[in-house]
Amino acid sequence: MEAHEWMVRSTYQTEWIARRGILLWLAMYAGGLGGGLYLVSLYFNSFIGMLVSLLIVAVLKGGFHFAYLGRPLRFWRILFRPQTSWLTRGFIFVVGFVAFSAVQLMLSHWLPGTIWEIFLKALAGLMAAGVIVYTGFVLNSVKAVSFWNSPLLPLLFAMCGLLGGFGLTTVIALYGGNVDLHAAEAGSSGLLVINALLIAFYLWRAMQKDETGRKSVMDQMRGMAAPAFWIGVIGLGIVAPLAAALFGYLSGEVIPAVLMTGVICEIIGGLSVRYCLLRTGLYKPLFPRPSYLKP
Amino acid sequence: MKWGMVVDLSKCVRCYGCVVACRVEHFLPMGSDWPRLMAVEPDRNGTPPVVSTYPVRCNQCQEAPCVRVCPTGATYKRDDGIVGVDQNKCVGCRYCVVVCPYQNRVFLAKTKDGGFFRGKGPTGFEKAGKRLYPHQDGTTGKCNFCMERIDAGQAKGLTPGIDREATPACVNTCQARALTFGDLDAFDSQVSKMVRERKGFQLHPEYGSNPSIYYVDTERIGKVDLRPGLQAGREQTLAERI
Repeated sequence: MEAHEWMVRSTYQTEWIARRGILLWLAMYAGGLGGGLYLVSLYFNSFIGMLVSLLIVAVLKGGFHFAYLGRPLRFWRILFRPQTSWLTRGFIFVVGFVAFSAVQLMLSHWLPGTIWEIFLKALAGLMAAGVIVYTGFVLNSVKAVSFWNSPLLPLLFAMCGLLGGFGLTTVIALYGGNVDLHAAEAGSSGLLVINALLIAFYLWRAMQKDETGRKSVMDQMRGMAAPAFWIGVIGLGIVAPLAAALFGYLSGEVIPAVLMTGVICEIIGGLSVRYCLLRTGLYKPLFPRPSYLKP
Repeated sequence: MKWGMVVDLSKCVRCYGCVVACRVEHFLPMGSDWPRLMAVEPDRNGTPPVVSTYPVRCNQCQEAPCVRVCPTGATYKRDDGIVGVDQNKCVGCRYCVVVCPYQNRVFLAKTKDGGFFRGKGPTGFEKAGKRLYPHQDGTTGKCNFCMERIDAGQAKGLTPGIDREATPACVNTCQARALTFGDLDAFDSQVSKMVRERKGFQLHPEYGSNPSIYYVDTERIGKVDLRPGLQAGREQTLAERI
């Protein structure tokens, strides 16, 4: 076969993962992590956690997106098509989250306990939830990539975001934040199991969907994304943090180094989940391969 | 009125005339191809030695996913069915590139445009292009059915698809007459007749995008019957038939 046989076979999407697309991958993860951390911090009422989540979303996510855009100075134009575009909706969630959480943090610092603080926490929490899930809807809206076109994707991103949030909350608890360490650990372990099951179910559903979906899954299992999947998602993302949690549970004591290692592994796992999803997104062939060609 | 195109696969001789005509018409920079030719050849030891060629370009979908997802409104659909891009509004998010099921949108990155002769400076043709048809780096582009020609021709009372001055450049150039352009809504237009009589089919109808480009002559596609609704027993999607 020759190089110009473009889209005769299934073709990988590259715009959102190759070259500068890496920035988009990082932005997607940063959004999930920041939003998840805010919601978990809201639960624990951790000021530090909320502040860190604001910085992650505003600086990391915003910065990566800004660097990715072809014409970044026109970013304000993204605001005006919420009726049809999930990107616009996501942008509104991000801007809303940054604005509301910034004001809420100021109120929490200087005027704690006021009705406005509570109101803004609720608003920022809603926006944070939007920040976590919208990237799932962005990918889900791409009908041409059957691996992404699944209603499970926003749920998967939500769970991954919350898992990252619980992980970072554990670190905050270790360093004296106002967080119940055992509750954070328990939440983290529970979400790890839910995530593992959800990933397995997602892959199984994609396998059943069509030939292109099956190819995407096989690429994760045995193809070019296999190292990221087996080492990143399964090994570091699920097995290692679960082993760390189990070790802590059996030994009955908190070992900061083990906990930190578990959290770092969780973050690598979260990054790997998104990497595998973006890297193995395949389009169907534009035309069928003529029957006289070998598969 | 809905402008559309019919591609007769039995006539295409893979001369790349349409690709070149488009580049000249729109002063396309390097790395940016609006129409493309997909050529399928068997391996060297494969038999029979047949080459199948499929001309593809933006399908000008009536339910265009790119229009739906564009966060700035830079991609828009006109009343005559042509999907255009306003590069002044494009922010370069590439959502449209990713969402297009036919992969017919191009992102114009700065690094891609190294000029026709890299390191030698722009040619006179390129300099003229930058004045007459400026393409903006960091934005997306795609085939627009030569809507400038259509608009200018119609303003003179010409009929696109019949009068050359109002017809897309690729259609004018096609020496094998593999491309036919016209109004898909007009019952008596050449394109409508071809779609009707030769059972034209769209690419990937299962996405519901309703392309304005139809293909005829399924024999060129490896004896796979792509025409919707012709399979006995039940309706099959294009994907299933592939």
